Amino acid sequence: MRNEKGLFAQIAQGISDMCYIWWLEMKNTIKDEGVLIFFILVPLGYPLLYSWIYNNEVVRDVPVAIVDMSHSQESRKFIREFDASPDTHAAYYCNNLEDAKNLVGKQAVHGVLYFPSDFQKQIARGGQAKVDVYCDMSLMLTYKAIFQSAQAIALNMSSEIQKPKSGGFTNRDDELNTEPIHIERIQMFNSTGGYGNALLPGVLILILQQTLLLGIGLAAGTARENNRYKDLVPISKHYNGIFRIVLGKSMCYFMIYCVMAAYITLCVPRFFHFTSLVHASSLVCLMIPYLLSCIFFGMTISCVVRYRENVLLLVVFTSVPFLFMSGISWPASNIPAFWKAVGSLIPSTFGIKGFLKISSMGATIQDMAEEYKALWIQTVCYFFTACMVYRAQIIAARKHAIERLELLKKKFGAE
Amino acid sequence: MIGGPLIVILFFTSLMDNGQPTDMPCGIVDLDNTSTTRAMTRKLDAFEMTKVTAYYNSVDEAREAIQRGDIYAFLYFPKGTTDKILANRQPTISFYYNGVVMLAGNMMYKDLTTVTTLGSAAVGAAKLSALGKTPVEIKAFLQPVSVNLHMIGNPWANYNVYLSTIMIPGILFLFYFLITAYSIGTELKFNRAHEWMRMADNNIFVAIAGKTIPQFMVFFTVFMCFSWYIYGYLGFPHPGGIGKIVLLALLTVLAAQGFGIFAFGLMPSLRMSMSICSLWGVVGFSAAGATYPVFAMDSMIEAIAQLIPLRHYYMIYQICIFNGYPLSDAWPNIAALIIFAALPLLTLWNVKKAMLNYVYIP
Repeated sequence: MRNEKGLFAQIAQGISDMCYIWWLEMKNTIKDEGVLIFFILVPLGYPLLYSWIYNNEVVRDVPVAIVDMSHSQESRKFIREFDASPDTHAAYYCNNLEDAKNLVGKQAVHGVLYFPSDFQKQIARGGQAKVDVYCDMSLMLTYKAIFQSAQAIALNMSSEIQKPKSGGFTNRDDELNTEPIHIERIQMFNSTGGYGNALLPGVLILILQQTLLLGIGLAAGTARENNRYKDLVPISKHYNGIFRIVLGKSMCYFMIYCVMAAYITLCVPRFFHFTSLVHASSLVCLMIPYLLSCIFFGMTISCVVRYRENVLLLVVFTSVPFLFMSGISWPASNIPAFWKAVGSLIPSTFGIKGFLKISSMGATIQDMAEEYKALWIQTVCYFFTACMVYRAQIIAARKHAIERLELLKKKFGAE
Repeated sequence: MIGGPLIVILFFTSLMDNGQPTDMPCGIVDLDNTSTTRAMTRKLDAFEMTKVTAYYNSVDEAREAIQRGDIYAFLYFPKGTTDKILANRQPTISFYYNGVVMLAGNMMYKDLTTVTTLGSAAVGAAKLSALGKTPVEIKAFLQPVSVNLHMIGNPWANYNVYLSTIMIPGILFLFYFLITAYSIGTELKFNRAHEWMRMADNNIFVAIAGKTIPQFMVFFTVFMCFSWYIYGYLGFPHPGGIGKIVLLALLTVLAAQGFGIFAFGLMPSLRMSMSICSLWGVVGFSAAGATYPVFAMDSMIEAIAQLIPLRHYYMIYQICIFNGYPLSDAWPNIAALIIFAALPLLTLWNVKKAMLNYVYIP
């Protein structure tokens, strides 16, 4: 039959079938509540919630308890400066360490400063005065705030004490004696050191992938459950080729997610004033392979899932490990080779890295060549795996249909 | 039910096995290129966390390397640095680090501060010893006020101890939520609801208890295995002792199951209840306040965080187990977990109605 038609007619038929499947998939997406939640509501709402959580970016005024056994001018000066530091706040004054310890237990403070009784005496006699800093290590950010503030004040006070002793003649001499080399500390691409700025781009890109996987999985599950023989692919003249099914469905998802990706990568950072240095060309170059590889990855997985709800179990618990694999919190250079290999199978690993580069660090396409290539390779590989699993589905569907036919034949034959 | 948690536990504990990231790539832009600057570079390289991997000819090249992700930071010596040191004209050395990869940037900055402080101190120490000062005097002169740091509970600043103890329970919570809601919902889905209710004489308490008690045993075993693995085998600090660990495991599993049943009763549809559970569970990772503290969030979010079981888990863990304070210090959190466990009482009637009347709609 095929030979009768020309090649062009066949292609034209294929394209029209693809468009039909595309249209059908759009209709199903809008009708299915579960899919709608994960395709529309979650990508719209979740980024806002996360941005809101991290919107304050930095930790200010960490409460600290003070145990001052010295009661001297020098210790009070230290405490005053510590309280005046932006990150810390002298919240309680205690008479002994035991009291301060109880305050940590009640979560009233996150650390303790202890001045021994000889604090001023040591300074006055030219010895080394010590201030003890006790930090609650269950929160790294408060530990950092308390320790760094105390350290900075100690350095400052030290140089003030050194100056008169170092025998300089002018103020400049004093400066040179206490700081022979000036060290400049420059934090690039996230000048406030904000937590949201560092973490959120990764979360945003991950949300795109996870909702796509969930949505595609649920849609496939529904299609299977609505089908008479529990098959993913219905028997219909439009579903007569692998490419038209895979392309038709993916066009639908791609269409929806172009909008979602634009919203998540452009609007959300703007709403919350996160760093966003993207150029249109590099963003488009990253997002097209990223979305496509996620879609084909999702379609491959969706064939494995038998019941629609199982996909939730599978996808939800992988979210946090996927985020870690991208190297956004634990540096990528320290991820064990095995997990690196597993991570390289997942689109989000490269998507997050690439997006961080172009959005947070203003990189160009050349700078993210590695991610760009990897995503296209994934797109091609997952496209073929999606075709393969769909082929298996089509064969299964035909087999079921033929079995049914035989059964009916037998039934009628017997009568 | 067991394979998933196992993978997650192994993932996190093996990922951060070192405790702290080591040998992070750092670049050098040395336009001075003298023995002094090279000595500083060598010292920086000798630190455990920093590894000098590349030399660049200009700041621009090094900046591009950061953008490509080759290095996390670089140290810049401008031309004439050594001359200025010798002539006492205070040269400026710049350390550029990537603020987007926070952990790496901060750790390397710490190494650099140590190197440079030691560098300036060495100059001073040599001068003073030439004047005939004793080592104690030199130490006192160089650092008249020193900070004595005590990192309570985790003196190594071990990230495995810090993150695995909250990320893994968070994922276990998710599993427990989802499996509880799933197991009740599938009764409807496969039309077994009537049969199930008949076995329990239409008593929803019996029906739910019959379903959740065996699950409780599995969940509790998984959680205890996890606790044994991190506290017993990996030796994470737990001054709170075994009693509190077991109590927390008990409360965690009960609260998670309670929330799962509650969510199903709220919306007796398999899909919706599982969606609620997963959205709730995933927000928990951020709202628990283990990485970014809750008191630094907006007050509205602070309130929402209290509605998340993982938040209370984290509070009980860090107050009672990690820091070893008495349970009374965490009583609001313990009460909260008990309330979570009791939540199904509010919606059980709806579960019953659903089981007897509803039909599964795909």
